[in-house]
Amino acid sequence: MRKNYCIVICVAALWIAAFSPPQANAIGRPGAVHVQATVTGLVTDENNSPLPGVNIIVKGTSSGTITDTDGRYTINVDNGQAVLVFSFIGYAEQELTVGDQSTINVVMAPDVKALSEVVVTALGIERSAKSLGYATTRVGPDDIAMNRTANWMNGLSGKIAGVSISALGTGPAGTSKIRIRGQSSISGQNNPLIVINGVPIDNTNFGTNPGNLGSDGAIGNRTGGGITSDGGDALSSINPDDIESMTVLKGAAASALYGSRAKDGVIMITTKSRGLQKGIGITYNLNYTVDTPLDFTDFQHEYGQGEYGVRPTTPDPTSGQWSFGEKIEPGMTQTLFNTPGIPYEAQNGILKKFYRNGTNMTNTVAISAGGDKGGMNLSIASTKSDGITPNNSFDRKTVNLGFSYDLSQKVSVRGNVNYSNEYNKNPPVVSEQDNSIPTALFAMANTMPLDVMEANKYNAGGGEYTWSRFTNRVNPYWALAEQFQNIRRDRIFGNVALKYDLTNWLSVQGRVGQDYWSRDQDYTNLPTGKASINSGSIASAVSGFVNGLYTQEVRRFRETNTDFLVTAAKTFGDIGVNVNVGGNQMRRRADLNSVQVTDFVVRGLYTVQNGRAKDPLYDLQERGVNSLYGQAEVNFKQFVYLNATLRNDWFTTLAPENRSILYPSVAATYVFSESFSMPRWLNFGKFRAAYAEVGSDTDVPPYSNKLFYGVAANQFGGQPVGNFGGNTTVPNANLKPMRTKETEIGFELKMFNNRVNLDFAAYHKITIDQIVNAQISDASGFTTTRINSGRSQNRGVEMLINLIPVKTTDFQWDLTFNAAYNITKVLSLLTDTPGSNITVGNHVFNGSLQQIVGQEMGQIVGFGYRRDDGSINPDHAGMIIYGSNGIPLPTAAQIPFGSALPNWVGGMTNSFNYKGIQLSFLIDFKLGNQMLSGTNFNAWRHGLHKTTLVGRDNQPVINGAKEVGGIVVGEGVTATSEINTAGARVEDFYSVVRGSGLIEPVVYNGGYIKLRQLSIGYDFSRFFTKTPIKGVRLNFVSNNVLMLKKWVDNIDPEGFTYSSDNLVGMESPGLPTTRSMGFNLNVKF
Amino acid sequence: MKRIYSLILSVAAVLFAGSCDNKFDEINTSKTGITSIDPVFILNQAIINSSPPAATLNYEVGIVQQQISPNTGVLLGGNFNQVNINSTNQNWINFFQNVVRYTNDVISRTSEDPARQNLYNMARVIQANAFMVLSDTYGDIPYSEGGKGYTDAIVFPKYETQQTVYNGIISELTVAAGALTASAKIEPADVLYNGNIAKWKKFAYSLLLRAGMRLSAVDATKAQATVAAAFAGGVITANADNAYNRHDANFVNGLGNTLNGTEAANFYLAEPFVTALKTENDPRLQSIAVRYVGAVSGNAQTAAVATTAPANQYGLPMGSTDAQADAAGKNLPGGGARYAFSQVDRTRMVKRTSPLFMVTAAQSNLLLAEGAVRGWVTGSATQYFADGVRAHMDQMATYDAGSAVSAANRDTYVVAHPLNVGSTDASIAQISYEYWIASFLNGNEAWANLRRSGYPVLTANPFPGRSVDFITRLTYPVSEILVNTANVQAAIAAQGADALDTKVWWDK
Repeated sequence: MRKNYCIVICVAALWIAAFSPPQANAIGRPGAVHVQATVTGLVTDENNSPLPGVNIIVKGTSSGTITDTDGRYTINVDNGQAVLVFSFIGYAEQELTVGDQSTINVVMAPDVKALSEVVVTALGIERSAKSLGYATTRVGPDDIAMNRTANWMNGLSGKIAGVSISALGTGPAGTSKIRIRGQSSISGQNNPLIVINGVPIDNTNFGTNPGNLGSDGAIGNRTGGGITSDGGDALSSINPDDIESMTVLKGAAASALYGSRAKDGVIMITTKSRGLQKGIGITYNLNYTVDTPLDFTDFQHEYGQGEYGVRPTTPDPTSGQWSFGEKIEPGMTQTLFNTPGIPYEAQNGILKKFYRNGTNMTNTVAISAGGDKGGMNLSIASTKSDGITPNNSFDRKTVNLGFSYDLSQKVSVRGNVNYSNEYNKNPPVVSEQDNSIPTALFAMANTMPLDVMEANKYNAGGGEYTWSRFTNRVNPYWALAEQFQNIRRDRIFGNVALKYDLTNWLSVQGRVGQDYWSRDQDYTNLPTGKASINSGSIASAVSGFVNGLYTQEVRRFRETNTDFLVTAAKTFGDIGVNVNVGGNQMRRRADLNSVQVTDFVVRGLYTVQNGRAKDPLYDLQERGVNSLYGQAEVNFKQFVYLNATLRNDWFTTLAPENRSILYPSVAATYVFSESFSMPRWLNFGKFRAAYAEVGSDTDVPPYSNKLFYGVAANQFGGQPVGNFGGNTTVPNANLKPMRTKETEIGFELKMFNNRVNLDFAAYHKITIDQIVNAQISDASGFTTTRINSGRSQNRGVEMLINLIPVKTTDFQWDLTFNAAYNITKVLSLLTDTPGSNITVGNHVFNGSLQQIVGQEMGQIVGFGYRRDDGSINPDHAGMIIYGSNGIPLPTAAQIPFGSALPNWVGGMTNSFNYKGIQLSFLIDFKLGNQMLSGTNFNAWRHGLHKTTLVGRDNQPVINGAKEVGGIVVGEGVTATSEINTAGARVEDFYSVVRGSGLIEPVVYNGGYIKLRQLSIGYDFSRFFTKTPIKGVRLNFVSNNVLMLKKWVDNIDPEGFTYSSDNLVGMESPGLPTTRSMGFNLNVKF
Repeated sequence: MKRIYSLILSVAAVLFAGSCDNKFDEINTSKTGITSIDPVFILNQAIINSSPPAATLNYEVGIVQQQISPNTGVLLGGNFNQVNINSTNQNWINFFQNVVRYTNDVISRTSEDPARQNLYNMARVIQANAFMVLSDTYGDIPYSEGGKGYTDAIVFPKYETQQTVYNGIISELTVAAGALTASAKIEPADVLYNGNIAKWKKFAYSLLLRAGMRLSAVDATKAQATVAAAFAGGVITANADNAYNRHDANFVNGLGNTLNGTEAANFYLAEPFVTALKTENDPRLQSIAVRYVGAVSGNAQTAAVATTAPANQYGLPMGSTDAQADAAGKNLPGGGARYAFSQVDRTRMVKRTSPLFMVTAAQSNLLLAEGAVRGWVTGSATQYFADGVRAHMDQMATYDAGSAVSAANRDTYVVAHPLNVGSTDASIAQISYEYWIASFLNGNEAWANLRRSGYPVLTANPFPGRSVDFITRLTYPVSEILVNTANVQAAIAAQGADALDTKVWWDK
């Protein structure tokens, strides 16, 4: 660790030494004649209004100033040869030589160059934005760094058209779930490819999803016991302060050059590799936020803990998760654990009592250097996050070095290396029963005081004091004290590229990149004494041992990418030609060493040596892809562009006859504003169209062509026991790559001096030969088989509207609205018969996620209420049918309740700038998706949901005994269409969601509209002009500010814990969502 | 210039010439996966998984009114005679995925191997047992195409009638039992009998006896022929030959794991079972039961208040909900709540490491007694009966030394309960009653024999919200309805509604 820092610092020092001397000399050149002169002036915009905040620097030096509120400036120059550079966002930069002038007034003109903005496209190829035939979105560093969340990607939610970003309720190191243009793959993952400085990195996430197999199914999870948590993704290894820019490539045409892994789009991140100006600059950034847990519960508090209308009055009750007790009256008491006389009163706000405020603090110091030949950027950062769960924290230290240097006129080198050291302590266990604090808290009986829970976490034997007859519902305080998990990760990734300009129109580049991480994890799946394995007071472990289950594992991962690229660009009169040809070789290797031990000799000592039965596992997975690709662009007078790409991939995971796939893309762009004379109000207009194909082996794990045997860790009766190693998928040796075909059209308009900007895109995407992990009959002995058969279709539109409704000298209002509509339909699975379906995931409790031919992708499926068909009495059509026992009957078959994928995703940012004070807020939304709420499922069956009040006060005398729990007579009819008069006991009635799997009451519209972000900031730089400080900016930020609209009861509709699309819309208790508030301070020297 | 081009091209060629070369196959060859294994190890897994799964507590053990839970939700099933889709599928999943899948693998890899003929036939026996449990539970099932997802790539197997299934099982058992021979290679690694062929033969013929007797109501002729053949072949009549899994701390008893884990305080002996044993002064009650006097919670179920005295055992009334059970528990001697009712003793009979039995000498002797009563086998029904009861009493020690029945108590009971030979029906009733007790903890077998014989006569579950009076089969898994739709619907059309009270073919 120490050594690594030393190396990085030494390298950095060398770079600084290499760049610094010339600049140092330039500034304070000894013996130079000092003819100090003062220049003043007024800077105005094209309408002759003064422009405040314009940056003015003396070219080649670090001295500079900015215009004041009246647009005036004063600057000292050394001599008449000095050149002043005027720059302001949205305006063209101007350079003026001072000469003998002492007053220089400048009229800034809107930047037409902004139209010819350069965009980094696939493989790091820079191209002018106007030439692109497909949609891309560039995200600036401010959007990323200023208003951030623990996983910085989540802060971009609602900011990028067509991109859906979801934070998961899994703690500060949790995964960001990113989907671009919806979900195309029927099963598995739809993660975009993450590319850093032109080279892909691994974005595998672990945990959370039972059976989650990583981004490409290559890295398995160890199962056993109750622990599922979110181990985070690759984005959490990146310090957002290092990001120079980020480009999102959305469609297949944009990402075609990345091939197979880019079928779901690409997020291309460029990190800083040199100073923006000459000389050495130091930046310090401090980001601090406080996360407050949000409580959306609106549970009933009229009837307290208990079952069937009886409150706990005898010692050791086990109704701690049930609120079907008595009506709460003042003065009533209850017995909890061994304590009688505890007030029987409502406990409000337990989420806020149990969870704490989380904090995130990131300190970054960056040194950058720039010169004529190149530069470097070195940053060191430390992030400390405390999650809202009292024992959860995440620490990360990163060192990032970026550099670029022109070794000669022809040869340049560029590279970056990022090292991060992360420690994720006790990521919360979510979406589970055992060990899960959220599950227990969200179903906690409403008269259970938390301090009583805490005081009684241990029984006499030091085990968990049983408090719920669902013994796997852990006492949250016992879990805090006894259950632990440590995840430590060291990650280093980076690449070096060498570019050789053979002539002025031909260059060749070679690049090597590597992403390597090692990850140590250890956790108590089931701590000693846990109630669910402890059977009350009866000892149950093997004699001489205490019970428990513990796992220790080490993973290593290495991906290398080697590529070359030949670039030729030449203009022949009006015709420009640009050709790239390249190739890439990707190799990936992941291995896992894991030992799981059961029962221990010494209590509390969780080590492998201390265990009784040991189950070791070593797993190694390798895969590779070789690729060749090329791109050619022809333009006519730089207003008509034609672009074509071709790529061939060879996959190791597929059979030899199927492993090669060739796919093309074509794109055309027509900048009509430059070919005709346009009305004055139209500044820019462009029409674009593209078609592309991409192939992928994403859903094929290595070795899925074979079935492997395993040998059990322990012998039975002295004899070995063999098995199929837990594999329940029938292997298929003849899989082909899947293929995505996408057509996209769009246009861009900039009008009224760029104050009205529109960008519109529409796409149609078909994904064929999808590799479907299809559910098969259990009677085959297996549960799934992998086949090539799925076909799906995505259709959507994206729009981006950028307006400047008000712009005066002192005040500017910017409004950006983006919205994307996407609908994904399943066209074919095993067959293309409508209704044919596969189950891709099951909820922890009841209900499942299915793909159904003819329906939108991601259907939530389960039993609904059986309803009268009106055949006996037409007036009763549609009414709920009850059994003779008064319990609602489920539908004869499971029915779909709609898609869990949102149709609309978008956001609106308003930002106001008044004399340098910037205020902005973002409203974002996701609409048109259904969700199955596991929290409400529990709230129903445990009597917390307000609906479960119905019937409680109806307490008739039956067989001489008063039904104190209440009787519900459901509104509806009997099987013979008579009005239902049969009553059912309240607790049985609402438990129907479990026993009958009737999920209809807990399926909700999962959409929301939120006030996502609020920030106010000011650039204090003008107050520091006479100091070494070049800039000071302070922003106050808040995230997840206000829920404007939601439909689901008791929770935030974003409270999901699964990163896999196989469980999209399947909510089960996770951490409460949080509101963060804090500030970001940026100081430049 | 030209040189540069050729340089670039040759670099490209070097880098990518191997695009399709055999390095790819090497990369895609697992360096850790095992591709071949001695098939006897696989058979061992199938044998271990043939123990009744834990979920039989929810349905089978409750349907025969031996153990029930007062809880609803996940434990719903035979306690309230309702459908619980999370439990009805458990036999299906266990026997297809954890037994037949493995036996199929063994069979496909040994059927053509003359050196492994004993192993081949052992696998057929284990597979026949699995199909018998499956068909007894659901009726018509995938049989000839079942479990062949990998070996034959059949992922949506067709269903066959129970009659076809039983014909197949009887034929398989007959052939396999006959073919097992001590003169071929012995399989000492087998975990059931360590390759003892004589015991395997007895096991196979005992299953054949069971299969034949299952048809007594629906096809007496075939039943008689099968029973006679099994008897002629020689069945298990001594406890030393019992077919059972000697569970240990690593391969635990599923029932014991549940009853010592999450559901420790949630299952109780049912009143009809306890009452019957008490009424008959059955010494086995002391071996089986424990009661925590005055317990008002799971935590209060401590050794200090435990009693195994038979007179102090009280079973939970059928159909009791939590509240009713708590109310009834208050009235027990010593008071308490539902937690004060008798439980099967999880420190003795159902430890995590206690054995679970597939076929026992007690069961075979009792079936022979019935065969003798029916005139299908030679020998004395009375003797077979007494031997059967005696064998089960002796078997109790195998669970735990603390569960042993003394020889004196055993003999007192046997002497006091001679076979009633007053009528065939009376004999069969008494034999079936003993079979019910002898099959305690093997819910599948207890339930099947009870349906087949009609004895013991149990009162319908009184729970007011019951869906049916008596559960005669379990519903098909929801997943079958979902993905194997055409085949399962054909079976439903042939067999009758997919309901808890549809009767299977042999249940007349």
